[in-house]
Amino acid sequence: MASGNMKDIKRRIRSVESTMQITKAMELVASSKLRRAKERVEQARPYFYALQDTVSRVLRENRFSSVYTEQRTVKKSLFVVIAGDRGLAGGYNAGVLKLATAEMADKQAVVVTIGKKAQEYFGKRDYEVLADHPGVAESMTISDIQPITADLLARFRAGEIDEIYLCYTAFVSPMTQEPRVVRLLPAAPASADDRKATDKKQGLVECDPSPETVLHAIIPEYLSGTIYGAVVESYASEQSARRMAMESASDNASEMIENLNLSYNRARQAAITQEITEIVAGSGAVGG
Amino acid sequence: MATFHLRVLTAEKKFFEGDVDRCVVRTMTGDVGILPNHVAYLAPLGVGGLSITQNGKARLAAVANGFIEVSDGQATIIAHTCEWADEIDLNRAEQAKKRAEAQVQSSKAGDTEFAHAQIKLKKAMNRIRSAQK
Repeated sequence: MASGNMKDIKRRIRSVESTMQITKAMELVASSKLRRAKERVEQARPYFYALQDTVSRVLRENRFSSVYTEQRTVKKSLFVVIAGDRGLAGGYNAGVLKLATAEMADKQAVVVTIGKKAQEYFGKRDYEVLADHPGVAESMTISDIQPITADLLARFRAGEIDEIYLCYTAFVSPMTQEPRVVRLLPAAPASADDRKATDKKQGLVECDPSPETVLHAIIPEYLSGTIYGAVVESYASEQSARRMAMESASDNASEMIENLNLSYNRARQAAITQEITEIVAGSGAVGG
Repeated sequence: MATFHLRVLTAEKKFFEGDVDRCVVRTMTGDVGILPNHVAYLAPLGVGGLSITQNGKARLAAVANGFIEVSDGQATIIAHTCEWADEIDLNRAEQAKKRAEAQVQSSKAGDTEFAHAQIKLKKAMNRIRSAQK
């Protein structure tokens, strides 16, 4: 009994220790990947912001209606959902997928997924998945996005879909990541406040060869750039979510080991005490 | 001499930032030179050269796709790809050209594949041309 108990505790300690080794290793891997991912985010951001600026400006300039800007009656909405390829990243996958599902609730939605987890999630449920792109986030370049964008735009122009949304996780800081949804098409200028600030400059930009051509050349670039930015942000978020999850798992494991060690030592002490009592009692009985 | 602020951005990195005397870039309609105090301007880029003159010295790069925007006396080039001419690996560019040529040969005209191969070929030739200047 006492020794059996000790053996049990020993075994549990060993199993918790090996789990901790794994979580520790995953934490290290995630933090080194996070460092690289963060660099990529920082490199991509100036591009991303400049792109958004320019597109907002062009959209404000353009008074004519274009296939990309006009509001249609929405029959079908397409969601590009970016999630991770692997689990064990805390609430990362659940967060963005939950948000996406909530957004789709009152729409007739079709989905394009980036990342294995998103594909599994929507594949299992009653959603029409147009295309999936698993395992690309880590080493994605902007040229990988172009075919995706071309496909989206072709469908949009053909009237197959009337809206395009993008669901991703914004990398706010290593501690906070925030699932977000943005509408890509029909395109609209960034915000109303913005409009006031630049109102007086309207109509002064010279577009070469014509505003229409410029807009049509920029929109695909805008889509690719935005999706690329979102993938890069999501990937950094995934790594930092995983690092945090694994850090707390390792902490919990070491706490468990401490407690188990305590119980183990108690059980050992109890066994020794009992043995001594038995010997003393035995010798007392013989001697007496 | 008057200068203006120029930024050249690609998705992968900030390619160039600084005050320059002049820059010439290939837009969809042809080469366009930007000097200080240019009017607000916006144009999509083609596949061609980008020359940046800073302190009287010109440096050449190869750009492909994207656009250029001038506003408030600042120029921003948002490029798809951009490489300094003196950093282009000529051998690799030649190989890329051969690959693209083979692709053009093997695919039918009018195919998306054909169009892609043609773009690739154009980009490879542009890089070779820029590197040899």
